[in-house]
Amino acid sequence: MDDLKKLNHRIWINNLLFISFSNFIIFGLFFYAFLNKILPINDLLIIFIIILTSTNILISILQINNTLKPLKTLWQIIIRLNSNTTIPMPQIDDLKYGKDIVLNLNNQIVQLSNVTSQINNDLILKQSNLNNNLIAKNLPLPLIITDNNEIITYVNKAFAQYIGLPAKDIIGKSLYTILNMSFTSEDTFDNWLKTVKLNSAVASKNWERVRLIIEDNHPTRQFDLAAFYNQDNPANIETILVLFDHTKQYSQDDQAISFVALSVHELRTPLTLLRGYIEVLEEELKQTLNPQLKNFLNKMDATAQQLTAFVNNILNVARIDDDQLELKLQAENWPDILKNAINDIRLRAKVRGITIQYEIEENLPTVGVDRISIYEVISNIIDNAIKYSGRSNVINIHSYINKQNLIETSIQDFGLGINNNILPNLFTKFYRDHHNRAQIGGTGLGLYLCKAIISAHGGNIWVTSKINQGTTFYFTLLPYDGLTKEMKDNNLEQITKTAHGWIKNHSLYRR
Amino acid sequence: MEQNLKSKKILIIEDESFISELYCRSLNKAGYETDTVIDGVEALEKAQTNDYDLILLDLMVPNLTGIEILRKLKNPVITPNLKSKIIITTNLEERDDVKKDIEKQADGYIVKANLTPSELVDFIRTIN
Repeated sequence: MDDLKKLNHRIWINNLLFISFSNFIIFGLFFYAFLNKILPINDLLIIFIIILTSTNILISILQINNTLKPLKTLWQIIIRLNSNTTIPMPQIDDLKYGKDIVLNLNNQIVQLSNVTSQINNDLILKQSNLNNNLIAKNLPLPLIITDNNEIITYVNKAFAQYIGLPAKDIIGKSLYTILNMSFTSEDTFDNWLKTVKLNSAVASKNWERVRLIIEDNHPTRQFDLAAFYNQDNPANIETILVLFDHTKQYSQDDQAISFVALSVHELRTPLTLLRGYIEVLEEELKQTLNPQLKNFLNKMDATAQQLTAFVNNILNVARIDDDQLELKLQAENWPDILKNAINDIRLRAKVRGITIQYEIEENLPTVGVDRISIYEVISNIIDNAIKYSGRSNVINIHSYINKQNLIETSIQDFGLGINNNILPNLFTKFYRDHHNRAQIGGTGLGLYLCKAIISAHGGNIWVTSKINQGTTFYFTLLPYDGLTKEMKDNNLEQITKTAHGWIKNHSLYRR
Repeated sequence: MEQNLKSKKILIIEDESFISELYCRSLNKAGYETDTVIDGVEALEKAQTNDYDLILLDLMVPNLTGIEILRKLKNPVITPNLKSKIIITTNLEERDDVKKDIEKQADGYIVKANLTPSELVDFIRTIN
């Protein structure tokens, strides 16, 4: 760099000296002419100015040419080398001068790149030293960083507190020794990390309801885990994990769910037996029982079925409320499903003297439904119709394509009817008609469940009713083609939905 | 057809003896041969004899859970060349993710309370 400065300096000194010298001579001549009165003063001034200006311009041009000469020389060589023309070899001196300039430029570039890489290194060093990183240090969420061998290289204060060990006892240990995590499925953190190490440069993933088993009688902790992996990070910060503690919430959920699950189990075992024995009695005594006893046996069977359906309702409502009801939508033949459900419920209607009639339009398109859940919907609405039929003895079921090209099903009874002002509340959990509460049993879970399931299918459910004339429930389902279009429109391979709305996009499972 | 069915052997792993009694009755009437076992460890040993065409596996059995039995039976290192189909029979409601994991490994999954013994027989026919 100094060399180039000197060079420029030298060129400018040369220029100045040369210009000063020539001006000095012109001034000398002018004074000589003035003193000897060779010309009148006015003419002399004009001539003087013209000579001075032109000389200076000439000198400058010459000097610029001189300065550019080495570059011109370089250019000449390049042309010569490239085209092998007859341009003459440049002067050796000019070449040396040109070489100096190029070398200088080169030196400057090398120096510049050295400085850049130094700054870069400093920056990485600063970043890697997370102990100085205020964000990592003060993050109120437990944070762990591991190197490429899953050895912990950094934990923040929040993590040390969470796990109840000082940071110095954690750093340098294997992640799996410190965090003894158990996951809800085979899709674990270590399986994920193994895969991404082989296949990805950068990856991130979340897990819900991870359990952490801490020794020394600490209660099990439960959290959501988020992990970020970047192969290109400095070696000591390859994987970053953040924990979101939900111990309190999840253990409460677990207790609630396990209570429902346990109660359901306890109810189902005697129900299994009851239904089994009723079946045996029906088979064995078919021929010998008198009509009244046969009728009692049928009623027993219908009641046991009803109880089974109710137990399933309790469970499904608990799952919907916990956002755990998952629907697997598949292409199904709607008349088959509908007839199958009607056949199962027929006995329950029959023992109350009610006939179920149905009319299913021919050539209905294939529907996209979850077989088990939609069965619950049909069975709940028919059970409801049976309950509210009063003295009427027919339930009409009709299935057809509506104006919106959806598959619409109506279930009509001719019984007590519902007051119009309470219709909007009908699909609310635990809601029951005040007028009939004393006479008709029920929990107010069935229609709530129907609404949640139908909504998750992308359909609608509604009701019309007239007091003492009866009630009709309607619900719509999407043709399977419409469902696949929905997937395509959203550029999804599969769809997942919960009873509370769209949430995930990775399978045809809907919650 | 009947002749063919008679040769089918079913292992019923079930800790509620009233239920296995009912299942045995229906299955025998339908022409199947049945064996019943209550204890999980014993159940695994029996299943590993590879003597059965079908195994009805309850998830709640003493000493070794149904899920553990299922994993051991479906692991070709522990149980090579298992020919038996496995149907999970349970009344306990598993979380959906656990259930999906079980369904992947088993050939069928039924809630006992939702089927009568004869409906179970119908279901088994569809598995064969």
